[in-house]
Amino acid sequence: MSEKLTQRKAWDIVLDKLTKRSLWMLHYCTGCGAIELPPTMTSRYDMERFGISAMVTPRQADILLITGYLSVKTLQRVILTYEQMQAPKYVIGFGSCTINGGMYWNSYATIKSLDQYLPVELYIAGCMPRPEAIISSFTELIDRIGRGEANSWQDYYDNYDFYKKNQEHVFGEINTYVDIKDDKVKFGI
Amino acid sequence: MINEVELMQQFQKEFPESQARIKRERRIEVLLPAGRLYEFAVRIQKKLNFQHLSAISCVDWIDDGEYELVYHFWSYELNVLVDAKIRIDRENPHFETITDLWQPAKFFERDIHEMFGVVFEGNEDLERYILTEWKGPPPMRKDFVSRDFAHRFYHYKDYEPQWLTEMQQHSSGGQDE
Ligand code: SF4
Repeated sequence: MSEKLTQRKAWDIVLDKLTKRSLWMLHYCTGCGAIELPPTMTSRYDMERFGISAMVTPRQADILLITGYLSVKTLQRVILTYEQMQAPKYVIGFGSCTINGGMYWNSYATIKSLDQYLPVELYIAGCMPRPEAIISSFTELIDRIGRGEANSWQDYYDNYDFYKKNQEHVFGEINTYVDIKDDKVKFGI
Repeated sequence: MINEVELMQQFQKEFPESQARIKRERRIEVLLPAGRLYEFAVRIQKKLNFQHLSAISCVDWIDDGEYELVYHFWSYELNVLVDAKIRIDRENPHFETITDLWQPAKFFERDIHEMFGVVFEGNEDLERYILTEWKGPPPMRKDFVSRDFAHRFYHYKDYEPQWLTEMQQHSSGGQDE
């Protein structure tokens, strides 16, 4: 990691400092834990203090917050959304369900471990995590971006075959309209 | 207006091979041979004016080797719910559709087909509805073990860290038995 840091261009370092102060969050709220988001976003806990606000479209969002369990069907939508987002992008797995299935650990319809299908930057444990936990994950993310360490999204470009294989195992082939391998070459990611 | 006692007596007279009983106030249960269900549905809809098919449900009686289909009919005039129950074979489950009587049956039958594998002859749309990518057997069958399937199919991590084991040793934590 430290070797990578020395190679980073000065511009990237400046960019990180700026990015961490302005993060837009797209929240995917099919899980029950999403009920903790309204107090986080509004005046009670007020996440705008940290420069984080909600975004309505994936193309302009930095954070993809997955609030809980994903079924095979919703996972496809999440992947479509994720691939539309522009790098750098950070997936936060919110709640036990994204970590190991949570209380749906023996369900036939939900995936168990989000990091098999998307590169997860941070997990928030808990069922459901309180707003304090969400905020502590945001500050952690901000710190990591500032240090230039929040690079998990690159893994999607580097190990696309791994993710693709796992995705196809659960739902077969879908057309996401994004060619990850092509993008990797074209944009030099 | 007829009450449930008269209604039950009527069922018994018209369908002598059925068993009807009043479960409680305004709730009637009718056990029918599978072949008479359609006729019963026609009668109850056209003559007795039960306008509403509120649901069709399926019960897996695995020890009997049978599925039970329960048709819930509701009348807004009598305020009575009639549960008509029939049994079909579990191994090759087929039954006739009632979609020509009630349109909503299309959805209920499709759902039962997806979850239990019952084929409703005459219902032309038995496509997958919720489990669009499903590869396993119908998941609501009692012999489908969800946990085994989940462990085989998905990436499942067991989580037994040291601190948890220690904590369980020190306290009862509901692990006594
Ligand atoms: S972790 Fe708990 S609160 Fe969150 S989606 Fe799963 S069951 Fe719901």
